[in-house]
Amino acid sequence: MIELSLMFQIDWLEVKEVLFSLNEGFIKSLEIFVLTLLGAVPLGLVIAFGSMSGIGIVRWFNKFLVWVIRGTPLMLQLLIIYYGPGIILGNNWWGSGATGRFIAAMIAFILNYACYFSEIYRGGIEGIPKGQYEAGEVLGMTKSQIFFKVVLLQVIKRIIPPMGNEIITLVKDTSLVRVIAVYELMWNGQDFIKSEGIIWPMFFTGIYYLLFSGLLTLFLGWLEKKMDYFKV
Amino acid sequence: MAILEVKNLKKNFGELEVLKGIDFSIEKGDVMAVIGSSGNGKTTLLRCINFLETPDAGEIIVNGETLFDAEKKQSTSEENIRKKRLHFGLVFQNFNLFPQYTVLGNVMLAKELLEKERPDYRKNKKQIKAEIEAEAKKLLDDVGLSDKLDYYPHQLSGGQQQRVAIARALALKPDILCFDEPTSALDPELTAEVLKVIKSLAESKMTMIVVTHEMSFAKDVANKIIFMDEGKILEEGTPEDIFENPKNQRVKEFIGGIATI
Ligand SMILES: Nc1ncnc2c1ncn2[C@@H]1O[C@H](COP(=O)(O)OP(=O)(O)OP(=O)(O)O)[C@@H](O)[C@H]1O
Ligand SMILES: [Mg+2]
Repeated sequence: MIELSLMFQIDWLEVKEVLFSLNEGFIKSLEIFVLTLLGAVPLGLVIAFGSMSGIGIVRWFNKFLVWVIRGTPLMLQLLIIYYGPGIILGNNWWGSGATGRFIAAMIAFILNYACYFSEIYRGGIEGIPKGQYEAGEVLGMTKSQIFFKVVLLQVIKRIIPPMGNEIITLVKDTSLVRVIAVYELMWNGQDFIKSEGIIWPMFFTGIYYLLFSGLLTLFLGWLEKKMDYFKV
Repeated sequence: MAILEVKNLKKNFGELEVLKGIDFSIEKGDVMAVIGSSGNGKTTLLRCINFLETPDAGEIIVNGETLFDAEKKQSTSEENIRKKRLHFGLVFQNFNLFPQYTVLGNVMLAKELLEKERPDYRKNKKQIKAEIEAEAKKLLDDVGLSDKLDYYPHQLSGGQQQRVAIARALALKPDILCFDEPTSALDPELTAEVLKVIKSLAESKMTMIVVTHEMSFAKDVANKIIFMDEGKILEEGTPEDIFENPKNQRVKEFIGGIATI
């Protein structure tokens, strides 16, 4: 009886140490998540308009960019953006510190997600029937009035589900930054395998991801519901 | 004086000549029906008049004011085109209501945006809005939808949607209201309710151009009919002229063909 209770004896010190470390990692993951969205949501719009531009070269440049970024692994992009300058140009912009690695990671993430978002925006904008614009025009509305008062909300409604999918993917993709040694949630969890020989923190990271993506799913569902009052 | 004169209007899409020189004029209070078989440029004609397409040649004159003249350099400023557009209203075949606005919102939106440009808008905002709303409600009452003000377009039948679209166009008080096959997306019952609205507009002397395949409607409501064929007006006249004594062989066949259906 005593032995059994010893076996299940919880080492509270260890738990505290693990949770502290995982929390720290989670904060880093959250930073990556938030900053990626802050950067990629507007940059995606720029790329979307670029790839719909009437100017051939602008359109082709943006389409080429989207093709390359979407056609290669994010992990590869991370590695190239981080190691590329040092090895190819002989000049490591990122320095050797954690800040440089983090900035490199953010650039890769923002660029990558902006390209995915741009395709979603483009689909959303191009999916609005021409008749909506024309109805606005014959009612004497200006181009910007038509965009902001007629088209925009319809686009938003259309893109919420695909954007939601990307955003949930982003939660999990944040773990990729570990390839350039940015210490996010999973890195910190895995660290305990090496240092302490314990695996449960690794599983525990899963709970963080699940809770976070679960909350986001709830929020996205709520948003979709909010827009249920009209159909596009 | 004619309220609208269209002179030698031409429009090409690349190699394709869709309008090959259209001439007509209508007086205030006229209802002109445009008939003819499919693909003959009827929609294109309405789109040119409403400045959704730029004609390659010709003139559009409203109340003696030349709004468009292909010979002269046009002002392409948005401001200017809008002003010209406001002489006309257009009701589409597939309604094109704004889905995120209620019935009332659809009718009020454009007018509200327009009135915002009034210098006294800020000062009299409340009153101006109240006027727009009262006006919109009256229009919706006229088209028989006063019980649907807070509905969204997807909650309405096609016929109701089209009646909202008519009220929406009327809200800007156009000189000439154009309809492009307003009932061809509707089944017969709903068609009747929309035609009834157009008929009552005709009775209140609204100037209208109606592209339609509803021959009995053209006969009853229009006082002038043009028959279009391959980008030209083949024959024009009163309903009697066109339906009782068509001169042109093509028109005869078309009318005859319909009569035998
Ligand atoms: N934007 C465009 N680009 C190229 N061709 C066009 C365009 N719009 C119309 N056309 C062509 O112009 C011709 C006339 O079209 P339009 O829509 O004016 O005919 P319509 O008389 O309204 O026909 P329907 O009775 O079927 O509505 C058609 O051959 C059509 O394919
Ligand atoms: Mg047509």
